[in-house]
Amino acid sequence: MTAVDTLIRLENVHHTYTSTPPIAALRGIDLTIRAGEYVVIIGANGSGKSTLARHLNALLVPTRGNVWVDGHNTRDASARRAIRATVQMVFQHPDAQLVATRVEEDVAFGLENFGVPEAELADRVRAALESVGMWEQRQRAPHLLSAGQKQRVAIAGALAVRPRVLVLDEATSMLDPQGRAAVQTILRALHQRGTTIIAITHEMDEAALADRVIVLREGHSVMDDTPRRVFARADELRACGLDVPPLVEMARRLGLPVCLTTDELIAALRQRAPALRTNPVTPPSSPPRAAREPIIQVEQLSHWYLRGLPLETRALENVDFEVAEGETMGLVGATGSGKSTLMQHLNGLLRPHRGRVRVLSYDLGDPATDVRAVRRHVGLVFQQPEDQLFAQFVGDDVAFAPRQFGLDASAVRERVRWAMQTVGLDFEAFKDRLTMTLSGGERRRAALAGVLAMQPQILVADEPTAGLDPRARAQTLDIFRRLHTEGTTLVIASHRMDDVAALCSRVTVLNDGHTLAHGETHDIFARVETLRACGLDVPPIVHIADALRAHGWNIPPGIFCAEQLVAALGGT
Amino acid sequence: MDEFELLRYVTIGQYLPTNSLIHRLDPRVKIVGLGMLAIVIVAQNSAVGSLLGLGIVLALVALARVDMRLALRNLVPSAPILAFLALLQLGFGWGARTSGCLAVWSWGMFNVTICSIEAVIALLARLVALVLLTSLLTFTSTLSELTRGIEWLLRPFQRIGVPADELAMVFTIALRFVPTLALEMEKLLKAQAARGANIRGGTNPIARTRQMLPILVPLFINTLHRSEDLAAAMEARGYTGGAGRTHYVRLHLQRADWLALVVVMLVVAMLVAIGGMK
Repeated sequence: MTAVDTLIRLENVHHTYTSTPPIAALRGIDLTIRAGEYVVIIGANGSGKSTLARHLNALLVPTRGNVWVDGHNTRDASARRAIRATVQMVFQHPDAQLVATRVEEDVAFGLENFGVPEAELADRVRAALESVGMWEQRQRAPHLLSAGQKQRVAIAGALAVRPRVLVLDEATSMLDPQGRAAVQTILRALHQRGTTIIAITHEMDEAALADRVIVLREGHSVMDDTPRRVFARADELRACGLDVPPLVEMARRLGLPVCLTTDELIAALRQRAPALRTNPVTPPSSPPRAAREPIIQVEQLSHWYLRGLPLETRALENVDFEVAEGETMGLVGATGSGKSTLMQHLNGLLRPHRGRVRVLSYDLGDPATDVRAVRRHVGLVFQQPEDQLFAQFVGDDVAFAPRQFGLDASAVRERVRWAMQTVGLDFEAFKDRLTMTLSGGERRRAALAGVLAMQPQILVADEPTAGLDPRARAQTLDIFRRLHTEGTTLVIASHRMDDVAALCSRVTVLNDGHTLAHGETHDIFARVETLRACGLDVPPIVHIADALRAHGWNIPPGIFCAEQLVAALGGT
Repeated sequence: MDEFELLRYVTIGQYLPTNSLIHRLDPRVKIVGLGMLAIVIVAQNSAVGSLLGLGIVLALVALARVDMRLALRNLVPSAPILAFLALLQLGFGWGARTSGCLAVWSWGMFNVTICSIEAVIALLARLVALVLLTSLLTFTSTLSELTRGIEWLLRPFQRIGVPADELAMVFTIALRFVPTLALEMEKLLKAQAARGANIRGGTNPIARTRQMLPILVPLFINTLHRSEDLAAAMEARGYTGGAGRTHYVRLHLQRADWLALVVVMLVVAMLVAIGGMK
């Protein structure tokens, strides 16, 4: 490699935030990024990924060490404009990076800042919007777009500047499968045309697509290699709070080398074919649930936002939804399919405009129904924990609901202790912690504890694992499993199909405000085309099983998790 | 029913893309033209002049192809106050005591005359015209057009140190985040209600304020975080203030704009003449 190829060089970079107490986010990073590379940076929440990203375009300068971008030191204030024109960045939260009130004007924002001649602006905005498939939406206001669309606009805004490097800071974590796939396609096309891509992610299968994977742990770079070699070190990754992609995990359990694509896995299986036979596995039998009473009954529900106003939008139309006592129901659908709207009907935050909603013995269409009584039995956990932590201290926050419902002091204390213990937050250690100082995973658990403190019969959770690293995600799934065995009825909305596969016995699919399908989880996951058509996907294992069947393996139907497939292939 | 739907009440900057003649005018022409109309209509003191002003404004609303009911919606919240003012004016105001006016109905202090009826009509016509003019501006211009217009009109003041570019950016961002903050507030209210808070409860203002406090604190913190993120994003996208920026929305006056200005001038002159007749 000649020196010309080096685009970004980090030399012993340290960064310490001057908070109280000071937080050392980066502790000596050495790194060279060459032109045209596709680099993925992974690491647990709090490992320093975002801090590192912000050093790449001089949003932060190191407290010790140096960063060079295309020959400029980021400490040199006069070079910042040039640095930022070279390195453009897309952030995690779509809402926080769109500046203008119309899509096309937002895309032009960066160009305006860099003083691009006005005669060129229109063409460059158009080209950028077309490359992300958003030209048709150019006149719309950003707040009326879906999260996936907003993120595509943000990418267009960065592309319009024609940067040599594009940095994405967890830019797909809020997106549904279709939104994620769209972004991945755009990134691959850019990479092919020579743009250097640096992507930070929690999604291990996105890391598998890169040329190079860098693993951060507590501010150090602990691995820096090809995905194949990084994923061969599964135990070390787990120690970092990370994991390997499902394909790699499958291969590992079958005693095969690291496989990054389904084709590789099949090739490896073929080589080993004599050693592997397919076991006849009985498909998971559905538990008899005819006897159980429906606890939630939604019939022909319709709802409109801004009803009667010019921006009126239909959110739900004739939706049917039924949940039996004690079961775990998955609610899946792309962003904007109406999941949140439906969930908010279950505890009376929204009332039906048309149709019927019965929860327990309450009729929520009846204006006389005591909604507070309903809310006491139906806990609703929102997607963003920031929106549901009100109090300064964790203990007070968890106590919010029990106090609202008038429990006495000792009963409140018992409830808080129980709720915090249930989500795995030690009562004594956490009750006096400031909610603001919690990590991402802890914050999510505190928010969940705040809802569990009501001891609801029904728990409704919206995207409970979005934005969590693999370890925090596994812990969250464990909490829900435990609640299920203790008899709580669960409704889990998610566009992560592997979460649904891990938790839910039945699934309802929403598409564009309609009920598209409902049934046993394995039946729903057999309908790949239906799910794809509404912007969803099946769990990765289902794809692998299908590919194996296509190559002549005799894999029984109804397989959607790694354990089942490994068992079917005769592994352990 | 839709107790949490805060966006319902946020009509600021509600743009209606009907692509009419008025929509296509230069924002500077719209700001100056509608501003001048507003001034001369407010200055009318006769019923005839006020009604004529209202008629012109209604014609403009029709020309903009804006649903009349929607345009009048903004009047609904202030209707009780308007009714009260009209009643005062009718019985006690100017014209009610003027001698030589034909009395219509009298009850104690309350004295309705032909003159006071005329005065009430003038008052209501002016107020309705004014509200419609304001809505017309936001219905027919996007926020960024307005911002660019205001920026250009402020430019002469740049010499005396008014940072027109930065002010325009502040204006844009403030308006851009109104709906975002409304949605944020809605989420917080819902999260509280979901955990048993009785959001609607009580008329006691102290109790209500105490209820709002737990919402205001996270709203404040979330907003701070958001503005930090926004500042970082703007910096990352190369924003360093107004100097050296180019502009995507370009303003140029076309023949229709000059024509509109001339028409507005004529109407204004006519209204001034009528206003001066009394």
